[in-house]
Amino acid sequence: MFSLAEDLKMNSLSEMTWQINSSLVHDFPSIFSSNFDVGVSDVVPSVLTFLDDFDSHLWKAGYLFYKTSGQEFTLIDPTGKLREIKASNGARFWWDFSGEKKVLQKLIGLRAVIPVISVKLTEQEYLLRNEDQKIVVKACLTKAIVENTTVHYLTLSALRGYKKYFNRAEKSLDNVIDEKINHFGLKTILMNHAAKNFETDTNFEIPIDADMPAEDSVRIASLGLLNSAKLHVSGAVKDIDTEFLHQYRVNFRKLRSLTSLLKKSLPQATVAMLKEKLSMIVGKTNRLRDLDVFLLDEENYRALLPENFNSGLSELYTLVRTQRKEEQKKVANYFSSKIYASEISACAEELSLSSTYEMKAATQPILKVAKKLLINRYHKMLAMSATTNSQSADDDVHALRIEFKKFRYLIEFFIDLLPQKDTAKLVGEVKKIQTVLGNFNDYATQISFLQNYINDDRIEMSKSLSGLIAVLHQKQVEEKCKVTNVLANFFTEKMTDKIDVIFGSTKQGDSV
Amino acid sequence: MKVIACYSMKGGVGKTAAAVNIAYLAAKCGFKTLLIDLDPQGASSFYFRVKPSSKKWSERFFGAYEDVVKNIKASDFENLDIIPAHLNFRNFDSFLAGVKKRKSRLKSILKGFGKEYDLIVLDCPPSISNLSEAIFVASNLILVPVIPTTLSERTFEQLSEFFDENDYKKSKIIPFFSMVQSQKNLHKMTMETMSGKYAFLNSVIPYSADVENMGEHKAPIDVFAKLKPANFAYIKLWTELAGVIKNDKSS
Repeated sequence: MFSLAEDLKMNSLSEMTWQINSSLVHDFPSIFSSNFDVGVSDVVPSVLTFLDDFDSHLWKAGYLFYKTSGQEFTLIDPTGKLREIKASNGARFWWDFSGEKKVLQKLIGLRAVIPVISVKLTEQEYLLRNEDQKIVVKACLTKAIVENTTVHYLTLSALRGYKKYFNRAEKSLDNVIDEKINHFGLKTILMNHAAKNFETDTNFEIPIDADMPAEDSVRIASLGLLNSAKLHVSGAVKDIDTEFLHQYRVNFRKLRSLTSLLKKSLPQATVAMLKEKLSMIVGKTNRLRDLDVFLLDEENYRALLPENFNSGLSELYTLVRTQRKEEQKKVANYFSSKIYASEISACAEELSLSSTYEMKAATQPILKVAKKLLINRYHKMLAMSATTNSQSADDDVHALRIEFKKFRYLIEFFIDLLPQKDTAKLVGEVKKIQTVLGNFNDYATQISFLQNYINDDRIEMSKSLSGLIAVLHQKQVEEKCKVTNVLANFFTEKMTDKIDVIFGSTKQGDSV
Repeated sequence: MKVIACYSMKGGVGKTAAAVNIAYLAAKCGFKTLLIDLDPQGASSFYFRVKPSSKKWSERFFGAYEDVVKNIKASDFENLDIIPAHLNFRNFDSFLAGVKKRKSRLKSILKGFGKEYDLIVLDCPPSISNLSEAIFVASNLILVPVIPTTLSERTFEQLSEFFDENDYKKSKIIPFFSMVQSQKNLHKMTMETMSGKYAFLNSVIPYSADVENMGEHKAPIDVFAKLKPANFAYIKLWTELAGVIKNDKSS
């Protein structure tokens, strides 16, 4: 049987596992017969379906999560400890589970768990007895079928006080064992035969170097983002979880920012074409994302209003859920349509074309272009911030928020080429401002979303809507008051000097 | 960790059967259990098919914890280990007579097992001696099988007096009726009398051929006579004892 938890206490006992040459499996258990009386247990078959989210968050954090054919769920933490998790059929999100679901909440967030791989296991235990008929060694033959591969493992477990028999049993295996396995368990089987199933690295990395011509770099990076976005389409169509559409849109947002920020490196016609098509494609998903955001925030919204507004809110949520269902269908149809396929191919083809170097900046080294841009953007933000305070128009605050977002994207696109330590610190500072500006924007977006329903004639719902809008407006005003402070903390003389130092050098990395 | 001694000054009353079945059932319930066979006859070791691995290690029994650990053997059952007896254990008494702090020696040794085991069951030899006194000090509970006969009643009273005279905690003594033949009037009457005087467990172990057959099967009764009354009686005894262990506050 699998020893999932390590024995941390006194005199731990030997347990060894080897992979067995499958053609020699028929030698078992008679291979032990010359030294022991062998008792054979019944074969215990099981099918384990391993679950994880699209990004393999559980696997990456060292967890294993599986369900048996009897719908029993097991979560194994990185130390091998079993965590109690229960759920009914069809459970996918952390909130569908009971028991130690907080681990799931922390690791998968809004993601759903989906089947990654099934492993068919059969285990048979051999009890090796000495001349007194005392069990002195235990052995277990495990057969694992992973996709089309069948592997066999044999585990020998020593019993306290009977080490010499363990050594004797080990010796009988000399001719049949292949590789010795350290810390054998389910993870071993998956690592050896199914690791690729958990490799869904969608993190965007730009394979460019500092001296690459700007146009080449932008094309490569943009294509990378477009491909990364495409990975999320299938999940969005199947409506596995809302993160698929969200991540699709994040990639699109970055792609649009990149082609817009570095527009002087690309041919004008390319920039214009991408601007139009990308905006059109992502625009088809705006409404669904708005509905998702509102639905995901249900708990928070309910907490904002007194209990007697609950029935009105429930009406609203029922309505939004229905609309969401319809909208999801529309988006799924769009993603599955020929029009979408042709639009996205057109974008990919455009980006895949060889560089034409039409523009002045196109041939310049990308790092030089990026650093110059970063300094320019910073000074633009600095100028904008001078006139932004808690009394400014909402549009001015939004404009500044967008500038900060572009600034951060620009840093992140080229982060590998920039001085590591200083840039990381700067990103941290930028994030702080973005939190305040982001909250401000979220409240504005939510108010605008709710205003779509304001003319509805359902009285209870209208009351709740009005209440919610009033509370959100108040929160937006409070957030706006924080803006002046965070801007003053960020835009200091020291920061301006630092920006000049970090981005002023023409060299790569930390060599400034 | 709790220490339970299966003890009686008298032989042949069902101490070993109780120790073996209690240790087995405790382990089956998930208690990490160590059965120490202190009786040089080694009957409980025999029931588990376990033989001592080294000769004459009894001198080292009361020495270092590490030496005792080396002599632990796994049983065939999950959660149950055994320290088998050796004929040499008959010298325990004379050994203890010659050392300082002899009454607390066993307790000090067993203390080391606190991290490893939830329960230690001692199968004790039938005597009242230096070893017995070390057992009284080391144990949280002393499980005493009593055959409901006049002679056994007398022996139990002697034990009770011994505890009084030597200031041992009498609350540790947990008697139960063993090898009971309900058709015998003497058994019935003795049980009635003794139950009125002492706090006996409600569980009663009947006289049974199945208990005797443990020797033939070399196994606890649950393994070969699962559905027999004697097995149910031991399960009841263990369940009742588990309640006493749970409520026991002694350290």
